[in-house]
Amino acid sequence: MSLLVDMMNNTLDEGYAERAARRAEGPAPAPRAPGRHRWTAGLALVAIGVVTGTAISQVRERQEASTGLRTELAAEVRKRTAQTESLADQAEQLRAEVAAAQAAALGADVAGRSATRRLEELGLASGTLAVRGPGVVVTLADAPEGAVAPDGSLRGGTSIDGRVQDRDLQDLVNGLKAAGAEAVSVNGIRLTALTAIRSAGEAVLVDFRLLSPPYVVRAIGDPDRLELELLDGPTGRRLATYTQLYGLGFEVERDASMSLPGASTRDLRSALPEEDRS
Amino acid sequence: MIPALALVVGVVLGLVLEPTVPGALQPYLPIAVVAALDAVFGAVRAQLEGIFDDRVFVVSFVSNVLVAGLVVFLGDQLGVGGQLSTGVVVVLGIRIFSNAAAIRRRVFHA
Repeated sequence: MSLLVDMMNNTLDEGYAERAARRAEGPAPAPRAPGRHRWTAGLALVAIGVVTGTAISQVRERQEASTGLRTELAAEVRKRTAQTESLADQAEQLRAEVAAAQAAALGADVAGRSATRRLEELGLASGTLAVRGPGVVVTLADAPEGAVAPDGSLRGGTSIDGRVQDRDLQDLVNGLKAAGAEAVSVNGIRLTALTAIRSAGEAVLVDFRLLSPPYVVRAIGDPDRLELELLDGPTGRRLATYTQLYGLGFEVERDASMSLPGASTRDLRSALPEEDRS
Repeated sequence: MIPALALVVGVVLGLVLEPTVPGALQPYLPIAVVAALDAVFGAVRAQLEGIFDDRVFVVSFVSNVLVAGLVVFLGDQLGVGGQLSTGVVVVLGIRIFSNAAAIRRRVFHA
């Protein structure tokens, strides 16, 4: 404790008192040039100022550098995302070409035509085939900026409660499937039985692609049944509760005709040699 | 008046010239600033008490900065640089505050 007390009480450099005492008792020290001690003290003060100013400018520089780096990284992310999208478009086109070539090759005889039909059925079930038809469009959105919950706490903006999370999307997709959806896409990404809806940090990933809200989920099926069963089912009730509690946006609209893209083709997982099939 | 002017001139010089500090010395700059501030407040208080001595001031300034830098440097070598610089800032901060309080008592008699 004495160390702390000492630190609190004797804050003035003891050198001052010592020098004063020595000056008082001993003979006056040899007189120095009158201007000199002013100069040394002045120089020391300038030095202190330079050190302070340098430290300030240093911190500022470092801040600028870090914000610069962040904008660079953000630009890089945007560039790569655009690249991914254009590659996905390209893959889509190539898939269409493959499908056309397949149809041309198989359309020649009866066996080929039956194979085409079977391929179509399988493509429909697996989600690799682009489809068109009536259905519903469900929009899930984050709580708007500054939205306020019934208890008065802020829900929008940075609050995690006001954000659509991966399990909400999973819930919605499962609800749509349970209501009889034949094909589902999220923000233009077609879902298959193997598509993952996950989150990384605060972002939602569908098929390992980064999505940003609002999330537009399109489901093809009987629109009446889809809407009714979704809204009446547990999923719809849950989402409606979230709308009230957290201010999430949840909207269901019918669409008489929409088209969903095919899912990206998966790796071949199993194959049978031709002679085993017969 | 002149000391205050010298301080301002120094700050402006540091801000305008933006001298490049060697990377190894950069972590010690803020500590040096706090140590120097401590010396300045001590000097002002000594001046008010009539026992100011330029030699003590210059020596205390230089040794303050060096010792604070050395302590933090040692801390860095031992892996506790952050904690030690916090310690240095706390101790010097306390000194600055009590010196400022003493100055305030002298100037305003309150």
